[in-house]
Amino acid sequence: MAAATPATHAPAQPLVRLEGISKHFGAVAANADIHLDIHPGKVLALLGENGAGKSTLMAILSGRYRPDAGRILVHGRPADFASSRQAIAAGIGMVYQHFMLASRLTVAENVLLGQEGAFLLSPRKMQAQVAALAEEYGLALDPAARVADLSMGERQRVEILKLLHRKSRVLIFDEPTAVLTPGETAQLFAAFRNLTSRDRAVVFITHKLEEVLEVADEVAILRRGRVVETLPRSRVSTGRDLACRMVGREVLLTVDKAPLAPGEEVLRVENLSGEGLDDVSLDLRQGEILAVVGVAGNGQKPLVEVLAGLAPPREGEVLLLGHPWSEFYTRPSWRGSLCYIPEDRLGLATMPGMDVVDNVLLTTRRGFSRGPLLDLGRAKTVVRDLVEEFNVHPRDPNALAWQLSGGNLQKLVLAREFYRDPRIILAEQPTQGLDVAATEEVWERLLLARRTAGVLLVTGDLNEALQLADRVAVMFRGRIMDTFPAADREKVAGIGPLMAGVRPGESGA
Amino acid sequence: MNPDLIVPLLAAAVQSGTPVLFATLGEMFTEKAGVLNLGVEGMMLCGALAAFVTSLYTGSPVLALAAGGLAAALVGALHGMVCLVFLGNQVVSGLALTILGTGLADALGTPLVGRTAPGFGPLRLPVLGDLPVLGPAFFQQDALVYLSYLLVPAFWFFFARTRPGLRLTAAGEYPAAAAAAGLDPIALRWAGVLGGGFLVGLGGAYLSLAYTHLWTSNLTAGRGWIAVALVIFAAWRPGRAVAGAWLFGGIMAFQLRLQAAGTTLPSSLLLMLPYATTVLVLVVAALRRGASRGSDAPEALSVNIEPED
Repeated sequence: MAAATPATHAPAQPLVRLEGISKHFGAVAANADIHLDIHPGKVLALLGENGAGKSTLMAILSGRYRPDAGRILVHGRPADFASSRQAIAAGIGMVYQHFMLASRLTVAENVLLGQEGAFLLSPRKMQAQVAALAEEYGLALDPAARVADLSMGERQRVEILKLLHRKSRVLIFDEPTAVLTPGETAQLFAAFRNLTSRDRAVVFITHKLEEVLEVADEVAILRRGRVVETLPRSRVSTGRDLACRMVGREVLLTVDKAPLAPGEEVLRVENLSGEGLDDVSLDLRQGEILAVVGVAGNGQKPLVEVLAGLAPPREGEVLLLGHPWSEFYTRPSWRGSLCYIPEDRLGLATMPGMDVVDNVLLTTRRGFSRGPLLDLGRAKTVVRDLVEEFNVHPRDPNALAWQLSGGNLQKLVLAREFYRDPRIILAEQPTQGLDVAATEEVWERLLLARRTAGVLLVTGDLNEALQLADRVAVMFRGRIMDTFPAADREKVAGIGPLMAGVRPGESGA
Repeated sequence: MNPDLIVPLLAAAVQSGTPVLFATLGEMFTEKAGVLNLGVEGMMLCGALAAFVTSLYTGSPVLALAAGGLAAALVGALHGMVCLVFLGNQVVSGLALTILGTGLADALGTPLVGRTAPGFGPLRLPVLGDLPVLGPAFFQQDALVYLSYLLVPAFWFFFARTRPGLRLTAAGEYPAAAAAAGLDPIALRWAGVLGGGFLVGLGGAYLSLAYTHLWTSNLTAGRGWIAVALVIFAAWRPGRAVAGAWLFGGIMAFQLRLQAAGTTLPSSLLLMLPYATTVLVLVVAALRRGASRGSDAPEALSVNIEPED
């Protein structure tokens, strides 16, 4: 474990202070009453699950969004950023996950763009200037290279140089290691150290526990739009500790569920490996919900992709309703088969510019076809009933998908998929970003659906998993660490360590 | 081969290629900033007409040249409105612009058909013009041809060595990066549309002021389209634009000579020759480039800048 610099308490004045920041998107509070101090010379990790509000918070700080309430103080003075340009002028810069670089231009040109100095450019002088800056901060880069020829880690360094050239005091990184190799990650963390030793502040958004332990001086933990905890690194001992704090155990909602007698097996995965998966085995029966939990990025996505038919299994066997994967997906039946409720509601699940009827037909059209023609009249009648039954607002079947709120869109997706009488339901983060009322409705639908189907619930919300699931499987680095009944209190208490890769009886990592 | 045959052909090739060269550089300028403008043909014709009319009434070729450039830039501004303000489709808007421009020039120019106006005549350069072979081929031309000689390195220098050139390139490659650097990519693209339009207009003006000195219907005869094609052939590099434009000009001059010499080949077939060659060259260039690597086009070419959020 890398030793972080000890957190000295009560530093004089924060560089930036966030006071009571709130931001709503529709009925959902992305940020609620957030207080946060950013100190010079410190690496602050913003830790939270997907949808916890990290990115929104940083978009506010970097001037892309305006908060609904609260204020930002820079050096103790209130600042109101109308654009990222103003935030940069105030010394706050952001490195986005998608780099803002023109790939045909050189490193030097990208760094100096907009601040070139004289009318006539001398490539040699520009490169020397950028080389000096890179040297000063120990960022290895060839300033004459074209960005297109650089690795992701090098491109990220170009972004850092851009901010340094603009005299940024606070550098914000949005999941900076997502695109990096382990070696590049180590280099990035060394750069963090270098920056903070020069009194810059680094804020980085992550959901990877080991990174927090390795490089952060302070940790702010976000959950459902709130900062639930801010603590110095010295008070965090293990990844297990962080995992527990991150996923939380507070019960927001409870649902009644009576166990059902498990029916026949609908899904069996044996020794599935490849694409980030490592020897995954699981089984699912009709009448039960199996929750797959874990910190995001530990293999949930590739698992879902294989099961949903988006990617073929590399190694191992997948049996869907008793058929091998390739056979099942050669001629999948639209009805009485498998349905998929993707995490990406407006991208993968629906077509934003098409109306409700057309979106329902996306996966159910075979139920409404007469030869090559679609029976739109009947489709509309069915959709009207579905919208009523699933309480989707507006009730208008001609509303466009993008006009629906997140909760209503999700209910529409459920209505569509459940109309197919599925035997296997693949639900991926089904309540992420939804308000309490919509969450409750989605939960009830899933519990109801379990009577006729087996439900595989992939979620980062531990509370959701424990409320709904009959059994829980914990994933870490592509492996299923353990699978156990949700009623097993002892095992449930050990989920946090398991999510951090620690089996009971082992010491913390 | 006999130099007495080659030299006049070279000279004619340069003269015939010069309007295409201006138009190619103009379209290249606009495309470097990320805007695809298929309206070159229409803009060229409007430039040609404006230059001709100005020359007719003022007698000043220089004023006429400026008028030609401005007229084409003005027509190009329509394209800018559609694409940069209303975020319309660049291909559709450009096609519409060609139809509008050719129709406009045709309608307004009808009363002028057959009239002549003062323009640019041959201007033998001292020293250079006396060189054997090269002199008569390249340096006994008119002032606009010399302007095009200067324009090519200036074009390169602008994009490689000046601040506005770098910013324009950024607007064509990745407007979001330009915006993140505190620049206004929309304004930069306007500069690309108007500046490029002006150069296209010079190409049109060359046709009416130096190439023919008289007004006829459809003076450009598809040269605007050739320019659009040559930008791709030239891989957005000004030096290669010269090669493409003069090749086109050379075949144009060659087929005219063949017609004059009284060949038995049908004239429509000969007239087709320069265009057919352009298509052929383009295909060969595309095949060769496709085999080696991806496109040379600016990354955000013809992609509109959507407002954030």
